[in-house]
Amino acid sequence: MKKIRNSTLNEEIFYEELENGIKVFFFPKEGFTKKYAIFTTNYGSLHSAFKTKEGGDIHNLPKGIAHFLEHKLFEEEDGDVFSKFAQNGAFVNAYTNFNQTSYLFYSTDNFYDNLKLLIEFVQNPYLTDENVFKEKGIISQEIEMYLDNPKWRVFFNCLRGLYHNHPVRDDIAGTVESILSINKEDLMTAYNAFYHPSNMVLFVVGELDKDELLKTINEAGRKYEPVEYKPIRIFEFEPKEVKEKLVEDYMATSKPLFYIGIKDNELGLFGREAIKKDVATNIILDMLFSDSSDFYHQLYNEGLIDKSFGAYYTGKDNYGHSFIVGQTNDPKLIYDKIMDVFTENKMYINEENFQRIKKKEIGHFLMGFNSIEFIANNLTDLYFQDFLLIDYLDVLNDIEFKDIQERLKEHLNKEYTTLSIVWPNKNNDIKEEGDK
Amino acid sequence: MIITRSKLGNGLHLNKVITEKFKSNYIAINLIRPLDKNEVTTNSLLSSILGRGTESYSSKALLERRLEELYGANLNVTISKRGERHILRVSIEWADSRFTGDNSYEEDVISLLKDTLFNPFLPKGLFEESQVLQEKKNLISKIESKVNDKRSLALNRCIEEMCKEEAFSIYQLGYVEDISPIDEKNLTQHYFDLLNTSEIEVVYVGKDNQHIDSNIIPQAYLNRDNIIHVPREDIHKTIKQELKIVEKEDINQGKLVIGYRSTIGYEDKLYSALLVGNEIFGGGPNSKLFKEIREKHSLAYYVGSNLIKHKSIILLDAGIDSNNYDKTVLLIDSQLKNMINGDFTEDEIDIAKKGIKTSSMSIIDNPQLMGEFTLGKILANDQRTLEEMIQDVEKVTKDEIVQAMKTIFIDTFYFMTSQEVKADEEN
Repeated sequence: MKKIRNSTLNEEIFYEELENGIKVFFFPKEGFTKKYAIFTTNYGSLHSAFKTKEGGDIHNLPKGIAHFLEHKLFEEEDGDVFSKFAQNGAFVNAYTNFNQTSYLFYSTDNFYDNLKLLIEFVQNPYLTDENVFKEKGIISQEIEMYLDNPKWRVFFNCLRGLYHNHPVRDDIAGTVESILSINKEDLMTAYNAFYHPSNMVLFVVGELDKDELLKTINEAGRKYEPVEYKPIRIFEFEPKEVKEKLVEDYMATSKPLFYIGIKDNELGLFGREAIKKDVATNIILDMLFSDSSDFYHQLYNEGLIDKSFGAYYTGKDNYGHSFIVGQTNDPKLIYDKIMDVFTENKMYINEENFQRIKKKEIGHFLMGFNSIEFIANNLTDLYFQDFLLIDYLDVLNDIEFKDIQERLKEHLNKEYTTLSIVWPNKNNDIKEEGDK
Repeated sequence: MIITRSKLGNGLHLNKVITEKFKSNYIAINLIRPLDKNEVTTNSLLSSILGRGTESYSSKALLERRLEELYGANLNVTISKRGERHILRVSIEWADSRFTGDNSYEEDVISLLKDTLFNPFLPKGLFEESQVLQEKKNLISKIESKVNDKRSLALNRCIEEMCKEEAFSIYQLGYVEDISPIDEKNLTQHYFDLLNTSEIEVVYVGKDNQHIDSNIIPQAYLNRDNIIHVPREDIHKTIKQELKIVEKEDINQGKLVIGYRSTIGYEDKLYSALLVGNEIFGGGPNSKLFKEIREKHSLAYYVGSNLIKHKSIILLDAGIDSNNYDKTVLLIDSQLKNMINGDFTEDEIDIAKKGIKTSSMSIIDNPQLMGEFTLGKILANDQRTLEEMIQDVEKVTKDEIVQAMKTIFIDTFYFMTSQEVKADEEN
């Protein structure tokens, strides 16, 4: 395996691309009992529309298909996957987000057997009309569970306000209606398009032997023709402007919840540039809105916010947004005060505050390396942005105050904001006509 | 990994887990209180006030900035419930100097932790009035916000009804109606009472560090007389009739909770068998509940059961369509009967044991979990090592599991639903 070393962090990663196209990364973690593997396809809820080749037909599959497929891959002809892992003392799980579907396990013993199982079950779909139908009841209950969550509602309402067409505005699991229409053929279309090994990456973290690892992975890999294969994801045109400046909703909550979204228009970045933007934006948000800022304490002392208040940036190459979130009795007043800070912020944005926040970020990043899940999950996430986690500390160290000033000017713009509010239902017994 | 425990004074111990495998170090000072309606709200408010400032860093903003300079050290003041104990914890975790390449700050981190608990900002000898007022308001909204998470609200409501006569029913954050009588004077008084009368357990996890010694506690608290020792929880309750509670809420999904009791305490030899039995019954994706309710009948996305150690209570919860209530309850009941009748395989036992082993072994990979585990052993007066605990689980036989499951009985059914409550379902 090829070795990639970062001397600042004093850690190394091994890398190999297998004949069938799977990329394998191994991060040795001496002294840890737990070992972890995460096998990921770059296929998430954003990718319902795609072509399998240039000039080919556009497939437009129902919303929630990636998540549905994640559920179904756990089905095997000879019994279920959960019990096979459990017999080896391993915990297996999976998740789907906007950009990826990941299958993972951790164990303390029998690691190589489990790794083989992981690669095999993800590469061997077993779908029948019956087992697809059965899953609809389970996923419906998962969707219903999220519908009862006011934080989830205020978050997605904000995304639906920010975006006109980008699928980041759609629920990851889809809707009860969309998933009911999913059939076996749709799932296989998605599977064939996105689960080709060349679209997948495997990260392994723990105290392990790299030769044994490669041997196991090679034995487990299904035989594929070594083709250069890249599915084409289709995104509709997304205007710079937000769709709605204000989105309001009502639910059984104790206090109004708010999300202020800022749509990012600096898109199309990959690698170091993308990560630098990400880090700089989060430092700005910390300087203005974290609990070390004067602005935070001003709002806190006025009783306008509580400890749930906070802000962060998240984005990929074709979308991005900052969120400022919390609960308050007066969301519209908070919004106005925050908009004022967008233009009047000299007292918060200065070199001294910047250096301090940067030091904090360095410490938090180092502490993250206590957790093998943190390492593997972040390695995966950043990999799809063409960036290696172990170089993150270098980006942090290289960021200068002038990067902050530039980014602040372009990103904090009232014109590109959406305010989402979930107000408490005054009377829990009143249900709107037409509710299901 | 070297684990030591030393007595620093009356009701006061320092526990150290020395290891170099982490990138950080962690210390927690735990004040252990009885879970008592008369003080739970004040303890909870105190946890919000401590951490707002120290003698040297008089405001929250100054304190937070200092923490950022210390490489983002995480200082936390929390309140939690462990059986019928209420634990006020001040903890700090910081990046180790070996990785930051800076040797200058570790002593400062430790002083900051000490000051947060022992030298808080007390102008005129009292907590500041405006801060107390504000934290009172925040605590009200925090308590009221429990309605935002319906799943945990349902679990809490079940415990409240099921354990009405027991301290365990007390809500850890306290009660809105008990907030108004608190002022800066009685809060300060309570703060000093806590320092003077609580059992204190200090837990350190990290590299060997000369600054972690008896100086972690100020001299004034080394020789205290009136320590309150919290007794072991009562786990014996007789049930005349099962309790059935149905409550209406504006929700999409019905939340079902069933509270069971067992008579086997954690000191009992059969407790490991109860642990394995619960794992087979509802412990995860290989459990009987998951396979039957979710995988076979598609009735739920989440369904499982949890054993609450200090009370020997098993809480089962599931999110279901309200129309499927009767069907789900029947299926759950038949699964418990299977357990009691020994209708489970050696394979299921083996899987359950391995699951418990893997989770237990993972504890030693995380500094905070290791701290939690160390405190847990002290509270249960358990002298066994992690390896010995795992061995006890591995030794459990099928007969013992059946014997343990036979002690289980239903205490309370709780159901939260958007449907009209039928009169005959209310007790």
